[in-house]
Amino acid sequence: MEKLSGYAFVAGFLSTGLAVMIYAAYAASGLRAARLQAAGVPMTTTVTRFVAGPRTATIGTYGTIMGMLAAAAITVSLVFRTVATGHGPFANMYEFTVAFAWGTLVAYYWFERRYHQRILALVALPVALALEWYAWSIPATVEPLVPALQNNLLLTVHVAVAIVAYGSFTVACAAAALYLVQPEGGRWGLPRPEILDEIGYKAIVVGFPFLTLTIVLGALWADVAWGSYWSWDPKETASLATWLIYAVYLHARVVRGWRGKRAAWLPIVGFGATLLTFFGVNLIFGGLHSYAGLN
Amino acid sequence: MTQHASTSPATAPLAGVAQDHRIAADVEGLLERLWRLLTSMRFSLILILILAGLTVVGTVIGQAQADTLANADAKAQFLATASKQWYGSFVGILDPLQLFGVFRSPWFLGTAALLVASIIACSTQRAGGLWKTATKPNVTVGPSFFEHAPYRETLAFKQAPVEVADQVRGVLRRHHFRAVLVDDGTLHLYADRNRWAPLGSLAGHLSLVVILLGALVGTVFGFRNSGFMIAEGSTEAVPTMPGTTIQLVSFKDAYDPLSGAPTDYASDVVVSRNGQEVARQVVRVNDPLHFDGLTFYQSFFGSAVVIKAADAQGKTLFEDGVPLGYGTQDGHSAGSFTIPGANLTALLVGTTGTSDTLVKPGQVRVELYDATTGSPLTQQSIDLGTATAVGGVTFTFEKETKFTGLSVAKDPGAPLVWFGSFLLVAGFVLFFLFPHRRIWGRIAARPNGGAALSLASIGRNDTAQENEFTALVTDIRQAFHAPART
Repeated sequence: MEKLSGYAFVAGFLSTGLAVMIYAAYAASGLRAARLQAAGVPMTTTVTRFVAGPRTATIGTYGTIMGMLAAAAITVSLVFRTVATGHGPFANMYEFTVAFAWGTLVAYYWFERRYHQRILALVALPVALALEWYAWSIPATVEPLVPALQNNLLLTVHVAVAIVAYGSFTVACAAAALYLVQPEGGRWGLPRPEILDEIGYKAIVVGFPFLTLTIVLGALWADVAWGSYWSWDPKETASLATWLIYAVYLHARVVRGWRGKRAAWLPIVGFGATLLTFFGVNLIFGGLHSYAGLN
Repeated sequence: MTQHASTSPATAPLAGVAQDHRIAADVEGLLERLWRLLTSMRFSLILILILAGLTVVGTVIGQAQADTLANADAKAQFLATASKQWYGSFVGILDPLQLFGVFRSPWFLGTAALLVASIIACSTQRAGGLWKTATKPNVTVGPSFFEHAPYRETLAFKQAPVEVADQVRGVLRRHHFRAVLVDDGTLHLYADRNRWAPLGSLAGHLSLVVILLGALVGTVFGFRNSGFMIAEGSTEAVPTMPGTTIQLVSFKDAYDPLSGAPTDYASDVVVSRNGQEVARQVVRVNDPLHFDGLTFYQSFFGSAVVIKAADAQGKTLFEDGVPLGYGTQDGHSAGSFTIPGANLTALLVGTTGTSDTLVKPGQVRVELYDATTGSPLTQQSIDLGTATAVGGVTFTFEKETKFTGLSVAKDPGAPLVWFGSFLLVAGFVLFFLFPHRRIWGRIAARPNGGAALSLASIGRNDTAQENEFTALVTDIRQAFHAPART
């Protein structure tokens, strides 16, 4: 079962890689179409102002299929891993990272289905791929849970909720990046800034309550396991910093002078804080949370 | 009141009163400026941003514990390590700025306090409006509203206004809106959905205040001893509970045979009150013991020594397990106890292994100190099982055992924190999952018969809301064309 999980993961890893290449071709096709349109050749412009060439949509469909296959493979990998270990796939760095990659893929495809902006995959899927590559490079051996993690309910719920939050924040970062890269009037046939702004907002509207719940569940677990719901441990403070940054974003959207470009930097800074919370604490700062198993 | 010699007595009192009024007006102006600042969204934005920045600093710069910074020696040691390992001479800037204790610094606490004030001010300012919107909404709006609203639609019908109103009400009800009609010559319609959702946002913000209040209560009225050690077989007094004792029956630690990683820490403890057993539990990391408001958590463990101390006549002065719970500068584990009646403190130092020349395996080192002055008297390593005289006292190292380190805590503020947390999550879920929707309508009789329906809605630039509005309009149109087409 552990071996099967590994194989499924590798299949997911390869599929993600292929998907990244297909989406890159999709973006290139769109860019070429935008250039041609600027030169006067009539092209399809979607309602979001994204410019598509004759083959763009087809390439996009293949990208979606490949990416969804990747998501399915990673899902299978996580399920087998759970069966093999007897607990949620969330107990060491390998498991967390695969779960984070899963969260990114699922969040991306959820937004792709709702808003059809495949160009987001240009940023979101490479993140998933990088996470999978990292997971592939670290030891994946199944080891028994250390005493602090022996709380199946909280382990599963706390980390699963965190993964949903992180995946949403990845999509928000992708939307914000594509927003910032365009000047006022749009560029390269990318979707209108307004639609990207809305996607980013919706992603954070999902992610922020989930992050809040992650922190609350983490505090609950800390109280049960260590006797204190808040110890200013680096993981706790990093997650608090992340939470505060997204709180700034939600407020910035209603403050004059902060809407638009200024606010759009926050999902990117927030994603940086998310990566800090995820990696920095397990790998750099030690503290009560270093369960990475990487000493 | 001040009296100026130059002013006439008739005007002097008035000058004094005018001065009071000016001071009062100044204070009022100041308060008003303060209120405007506290209720300013931009100000709270900056406050949160500052807190975020400080939190990142506190995450990236390794923080020191409160008692480390309070103790001069410990602080010097901490700064020396920090300087050597990471920050070099920057330690000289970081320390005075309190960046090694950011979360207790005035920057952090002050900003947090301001933010709490801001939340309370904003909530107070908006609560009335939110309540009114939910309970006594503004139903009648002027015609220009329907021309400028972000979502708007005008439909013409052959039916009379009243019939149109009825049908529209029916459609709105099917979309889970509640509808209010007012007739003042023209039929005014107001419909809303999830009207309590904005109060969820209010609750969510106030819950942050509740959480911080709970944390404050816990800090002020709570208690924690995170280094409570009991050797196997020994009994200790429970902190803050006179007459209550806790005994460690056994401590077991288990490890994975393959990786050596720990798999279990279990302390079998018995709590007794005035000699009667009142609680018994195997305490594990995720399974603390709750007793009479106090909670015992499995925190750490180590080796202990059962030792007997007897006087020159052979009378036993002390016989108990001593946890070797402290680390010495040279890497040894040590523990101490006082010898009653002999004005002596004994420090026991355990062996570090086969390479230890000072304390060989099977030995424990006894260091005697004067209990009053603390000055060292004598020290010697003694063997297991052999009664040895050290400084006039005969010590017998009876056996090696283990001790458990528990964290004993009481937090009266915790229920507030959990209540606030629940409110926080519930508030935001309510606000985001059930967005507040409002639709205004105006049904006017058309000059040549029939009715004109104007619909309008406000809100963020939002495809979901746009789709909802379009779907509603479509349904209204369809309601008038069913069952047969004209």
